[in-house]
Amino acid sequence: MFKTFTEPFRHEFPKLDRQQTSSNGRKPKARAKDWSGTLGRIWRYLALRKAKLTLVLLMVLCSSALALLGPYLVGVAVDDFLEGGEGTAWILFLAGLGLSYVGFSLTSWLQNIWMIEISQETVYRMRLDLFRHLHQLPIPFYGKRQQGEIMSRLTNDIENVSSTLNSSAIQIFSSVLTLVGTLIVMLYLSPLLTLLTFLIVPLMALGMRWISRRTGPLFKQRQKNLGDLNGYIEETLSGQVIIQAFSQEQRVISEFKERNVAIRQSGFWAQTFSGFIPKLMNALNNLSFAVVAGVGGILAIRGAITVGVIIVFVEYARQFTRPLNDLANQWNTLLSAIAGAERVFEIMDEEVEEKHDTDAVKLDHVEGAVVFSGVSFSYDEDEAEETLEDISFEAKTGEMIALVGPTGAGKTTLIQLLSQFYNPGQGTITVDGRDITTIRRESLRSHMAFVLQDSFLFKGTIRENIRFGRLDATDEEVEEASRLANAHSFIKRLPGGYDKVLETGGTGISQGQKQLLAIARAILANPSILVLDEATSSIDTVTEIKIQEGLERLMKGRTSFVIAHRLNTIRQADRILVLKDGRLIEQGSHDELLEQQGFYSGLYQG
Amino acid sequence: MAMILSFLKKYRIAALSALCMMLIELSVELIQPLLISKIIDNGIREENLSVVWLWGGVLVGSAILAFGAGIASSFFASHASQGFGYDLRDKLYDKVQSFSYSVFNKFETSSLITRLTGDITQLQDMVFMSLRFATRVPLVVFGSMIMALFVNVKLGLLLTVTVPILFIFVIWMMKLASRLFKKVQQRMDAVNGVIQENLTGMRLIRVFVRMGHEIKRFEKHSKELMKATVSAIRLTETMMPFVLLMMNGGVIAILWFGRKDIAAGQATLGEVVAVLNYTLRTLGALSALSWIMTSYSRASASKDRVQEVFMMEDAVQVDEHSDKQLAQGNRHDSVDGKLEFEKVGFRYPESDISVLEDISFTALPGQRIAIMGATGSGKSSLIRLIPRLYEPTSGIIRIDGTDIRQIPSTQLRGAIGYVPQEVMLFTGTIRENIAWGREGASLEQIQEAAKRAQIHETIESLTHGYDTLLGQRGVNLSGGQKQRLSIARALVRQPSILILDDCTSALDVRTEAALLNALTELSCTTFLITQKISSTTAADLILLLDEGCLLASGRHEELLINSTLYRKIYESQNRKGEEPGYVQDLHRTFQT
Repeated sequence: MFKTFTEPFRHEFPKLDRQQTSSNGRKPKARAKDWSGTLGRIWRYLALRKAKLTLVLLMVLCSSALALLGPYLVGVAVDDFLEGGEGTAWILFLAGLGLSYVGFSLTSWLQNIWMIEISQETVYRMRLDLFRHLHQLPIPFYGKRQQGEIMSRLTNDIENVSSTLNSSAIQIFSSVLTLVGTLIVMLYLSPLLTLLTFLIVPLMALGMRWISRRTGPLFKQRQKNLGDLNGYIEETLSGQVIIQAFSQEQRVISEFKERNVAIRQSGFWAQTFSGFIPKLMNALNNLSFAVVAGVGGILAIRGAITVGVIIVFVEYARQFTRPLNDLANQWNTLLSAIAGAERVFEIMDEEVEEKHDTDAVKLDHVEGAVVFSGVSFSYDEDEAEETLEDISFEAKTGEMIALVGPTGAGKTTLIQLLSQFYNPGQGTITVDGRDITTIRRESLRSHMAFVLQDSFLFKGTIRENIRFGRLDATDEEVEEASRLANAHSFIKRLPGGYDKVLETGGTGISQGQKQLLAIARAILANPSILVLDEATSSIDTVTEIKIQEGLERLMKGRTSFVIAHRLNTIRQADRILVLKDGRLIEQGSHDELLEQQGFYSGLYQG
Repeated sequence: MAMILSFLKKYRIAALSALCMMLIELSVELIQPLLISKIIDNGIREENLSVVWLWGGVLVGSAILAFGAGIASSFFASHASQGFGYDLRDKLYDKVQSFSYSVFNKFETSSLITRLTGDITQLQDMVFMSLRFATRVPLVVFGSMIMALFVNVKLGLLLTVTVPILFIFVIWMMKLASRLFKKVQQRMDAVNGVIQENLTGMRLIRVFVRMGHEIKRFEKHSKELMKATVSAIRLTETMMPFVLLMMNGGVIAILWFGRKDIAAGQATLGEVVAVLNYTLRTLGALSALSWIMTSYSRASASKDRVQEVFMMEDAVQVDEHSDKQLAQGNRHDSVDGKLEFEKVGFRYPESDISVLEDISFTALPGQRIAIMGATGSGKSSLIRLIPRLYEPTSGIIRIDGTDIRQIPSTQLRGAIGYVPQEVMLFTGTIRENIAWGREGASLEQIQEAAKRAQIHETIESLTHGYDTLLGQRGVNLSGGQKQRLSIARALVRQPSILILDDCTSALDVRTEAALLNALTELSCTTFLITQKISSTTAADLILLLDEGCLLASGRHEELLINSTLYRKIYESQNRKGEEPGYVQDLHRTFQT
């Protein structure tokens, strides 16, 4: 019993990861200093609704003034009317009081209603900007971060900002106003009592500093733990089939527990310390109440002030600390919101894909002649990773180029250079004789289509998923494309046919079927340059017999780059590029390469 | 509500202590106006300084007491709420882990994630708030009413009449808001769903230049979320100014009647002031109401969503119970690996299309069974029935002559090594990933499994060897390397039944042959979903599936004679006199 009772006081203090490097070794930006910067950026969003914001501020001004007027009038009532005074004046007085109350309710209602619109719009814009930014970040960014962690920034952190803007923003402003207003009226009524009331301010400042020094890092730690937990949950839930088949439920449960413990620990201390703030305020509030009542009483006996002034002061003393109290309350939410916003902006500060030259052109038509001349490339961050050295080759319009080589030889990198995910370090890549760095990235890509090994499907109908290849395609065109891809017959057999709704990732249909949809998608896109990145590797040979046709139709008349591992696919290529360790060691047709008796033929002979 | 209380029960001492501490603070606050009225009536009016000093001193003392109680309550409340959140998260995760695979699939992963994180945090905050502020509000209101009556019955009644009406009004509004917030949460799910999809399909979106399309989609969902949020919060924000107006009406009434009563000698000035003070306090307490209400409505929506998971009925639940009985009655010490399917049929829950129909075959211990068929023919579903990831809708599956439903699932799955089609590795080192198949596996065992899976040398060639970090933060292995790792993960279990769901597709012929060869050394029944004739030729039994039916079964030579489809496949892979082996993989040969 006693042990359970003292348990709350025996929590271990969490270890704070002061060095919160973002895993890729980049140094974290100075955070504490950046608060004003973060606030400034939030302000820039808010400022988009300046007119409405001004109205809100006006309302806050009115409501704060009216909030001050109420207690003052009550004090006047106590002194002048309760024990006498004239009847009609009293009625007029009460009418005035009533009016001020109505005004107060009205203005505070308006300020809230308008502010919600502003704040939700702000959050909406932030969310959208972040989302847009995500689509401009270089692809390697996603390899380095856990998806759950990015998710957490888009959801938890933004939500944090949202709830703070909803309430805290106004409250902070009106608190400050009320504070100033109260101070002025108090000074006017009794400078001595005001001075006494203000004795608590230094105490408050000290206390606040002590607390907020602790809560800041704790909230950050909690947020980080939450991100970790998120990542873990996502990873394990995605791998659920493995967990069950291996009966590893207990294991993930206990690993989950570790992370859960961490979040409890940091959460406990963050919450406890932040919980001190309102208590401190309350205590100081009570203290000032005592001082005002005691000293006020003595002053009243001496006739220096009236009873009404004490009443007003008692109310004001609370009104004075209440805004501070609110400020303190809001301070917590503000802290975690700023931490959240910082994490959001951190992503927005990630560098986007290299911009192409401003005078880059848009191509309306692409023939599909691709030339690599002396192309070299290395990832600057990890130089040990796959690099390309002095690659030169030519792909004529409509040719099929097969890329062959071990993993790490640079096949994917070569494709990524062609699709402008990176720019080559040396050498040039041309399409139809034009250096691709002078072509707008989107324009180039819109003439290309990709079928990747892991074909991704969105939540939505099959039709929508195919139409992803060309958004303005008609239903007929969609069906035509799936017929060419040999996907039509299986789609027809599904319940709902083209309107069957696929879940994220395409659960419910097989890998091969997904691939057929991806091929249909590419056919619909009608590209001049086609990239098949291990497109058939996950398709069984029985299905492949069927798709082969579709693929051939897809490749016909287009320049295609095929990363494949099936010989019967490779053999058909007009040119085979054999890559090894980032070098192009052989190129030519199947027969030519066999004649050369080189690396390829060695492979072929086994 | 019952659910929340049951989770709080463990922390009742801390929760109650927090409430007690709050009561102490509260009583201090409630005594203050009374003391003021004493100071006014007995001190100032009678010009008695010592009375003023006395009550002033009492006020200071009580303020210090309240502070101590406040600090302690912070500890208690944090302990209770964090513990509550911890337990809830823990139990919910346990529950999710206890779902059978088909029930698990009823939820979207993204929605389960929000439930486990956002929703629980919401509930946790609600508990904390309840212990610290929220319960305080009704207590302040109620206490003020009592105290006001105590000071002056007639004036106090004014306060007592206004407050209950307001309370009923507030509760009604809360109900309305709760519905709106549920909608907000749904919209939030939709937004999160889009985000997750986009993060997963980023590369594809990029290459198809569909950023605009996706952004538009996201914009639409976000806009809906924004609208729902605005209308929900607008409702809660409308309520407060209205309540304040009513309360302020009460203040005017008290002033009006107070003046009359003083004139009639029925009340003193101090009393009127005290009642006024109590009214103002009630007002202050009520102004926190809107904020509390918002949190409660949100929490209530979260509660429903969490509860939905807890309430999910699942056949496995029954299983666990029977598992215990089974474990007592039925002791299989080792599994030999004889497997029989008898007229097995399967369809997904809540679907009328049968995935498998009338499948019968027998696999003897140590045999290799190859399963072939086009995509969607039911191969993966068939083998998922063996570890009971799915339950057959008809027919019986037996292992060593025992119905698998009679074998405790941990024992059943313990005897099975499963390698799924889609590679799933976890964040961690290579060693951890292999040992994932068998906790406490020694390095030798891990290495042996890796050798059998033909990945040992590749691992050794990495800078950190077995301690190389995998996953999004670590090294990216090729598809084939990942496949072999997940095979090693299954092998380290030393299973009696090994299930390979088309997981050698990215391996070259030589590696695959070496792998299959290494597997023969193990005495386990192996199920191999494959598309390569090269791996079926040596199989003891080939099952050829087509649209859920067993089209043909037998050895390679038999099928060549009996099945036209099999013959077609054989021919397509064996075109133009090539040796069947070379149809496949070319560049993978580099890896070995």
